[in-house]
Amino acid sequence: MADNREITIKVNGKDMTTYVETRLSLGDVLREHFHLTGTHLGCEHGVCGACTVVVDGEPIRSCLMLGVQAHGKEVTTVEGLSKGEDLHPIQEAFWKNHGLQCGYCTPGFLTTLFSFLENNSDPTEREIREAISGNICRCTGYQNIVNAALDAAKVMKGS
Amino acid sequence: MRPFEFIKPDSEASAIELLGKLSPNVRILAGGTDYLVDLKHTADVPKTVMDISRLPELKGIDEVDDGLRIGAGVTHTEIMQNPLIKKYAPAMIHAAHTIGAVQTRNLGTIGGNLVTCVPSMDSGPTLVALDAEVNIVGKDGTRRISLTDLFVGPRKTSLKSNELLTEIIIPKRSLGKPANFYKFGLRKGQALALVNAASSLWIKGGCFKDLRISIGAVAPVVIRCLKAEKYLEGKKIDEKLVKEAGNIAVTEAKPIDDFRASQSYRNDLIAVLVTRTINAAIDLADKD
Repeated sequence: MADNREITIKVNGKDMTTYVETRLSLGDVLREHFHLTGTHLGCEHGVCGACTVVVDGEPIRSCLMLGVQAHGKEVTTVEGLSKGEDLHPIQEAFWKNHGLQCGYCTPGFLTTLFSFLENNSDPTEREIREAISGNICRCTGYQNIVNAALDAAKVMKGS
Repeated sequence: MRPFEFIKPDSEASAIELLGKLSPNVRILAGGTDYLVDLKHTADVPKTVMDISRLPELKGIDEVDDGLRIGAGVTHTEIMQNPLIKKYAPAMIHAAHTIGAVQTRNLGTIGGNLVTCVPSMDSGPTLVALDAEVNIVGKDGTRRISLTDLFVGPRKTSLKSNELLTEIIIPKRSLGKPANFYKFGLRKGQALALVNAASSLWIKGGCFKDLRISIGAVAPVVIRCLKAEKYLEGKKIDEKLVKEAGNIAVTEAKPIDDFRASQSYRNDLIAVLVTRTINAAIDLADKD
């Protein structure tokens, strides 16, 4: 028996309401109901990190939270990082450092690092590697991603 | 994922009442990092899923009369950041840190880790080594059992279908007890333990006192190594004896042989990890 609910989630600063099946993951709600397809679903069982979004200030896997569980919460997706055409310093740094190839994992890295760098203004390389240990990239290796994070930290600290 | 009815009670009391009414056709969802994965892969979906992740009664870490109370709904991240855990049971911080990755630690709960009861759970050994107990609430009231009595088999606990694990209690006698946790996995990040271990001890007059050794991932449930503990209890601190205790611990385990590691490799790891955790706890202890 399908069970449906009305839910309201504050996504990237804006209250969004929809009617969802209770079995739908937050990742699916973001993509299919709110058409925010920047959040990528990879493994869908909590390992790859591609679907990471920030919920109430903490990075979580949107494949491991039901949409109905996010009711009343604040969610930041990759679409919430830039201000219009102005990229967030982390996005800018990924671009400059060639921190991506195919880009599938990138939204997850960006949201994970966004949350991490907000709370750690002067991280070491080791801390960055630890912070992204829940995100898997199968193209670039991690060197350029780590370089991008170090760059972004400097820019964010200065701003 | 197949459809289910979703309910979200707003208090522990109403959760218990609903459990009593709906069991056994209801399952509990807390952090979801294990259970939602299960739900995606099984045809055996319950009629109702009850979300307890926001119950205020299951939150918080507090000093109580008989020790330290940890709400079952406390996340691994909250454990890592809590000043009382840092003061009284810092080995738990290390154990929590080895679980999953930051995104899963932000969701996953300590109670969920215990009741999911996989043999490789990383919360288990440290809590067992600290003689932790759990409070279980059902419609007939609360019962307190030792954590080791919760574990029955892989993914099997002594919880009844109408009961809820609400609190973990670290008894007063274990607060500040020197303890160490060590996990060995195939990678640093997001790896299941091949073997994990924790030891706790006091040193009195240069001898072992109240030594506890617990190992995980090498038996159907997390176990205490009673023979190894008995071997060292009351004896003078001696590196050779500690090494022998590691060998004795191997005889108390029944590790599996699988694609992650062979049985003999796991046995070697048990001896090494038990020895290391005891030695690390000795280093932390006052030596008078």
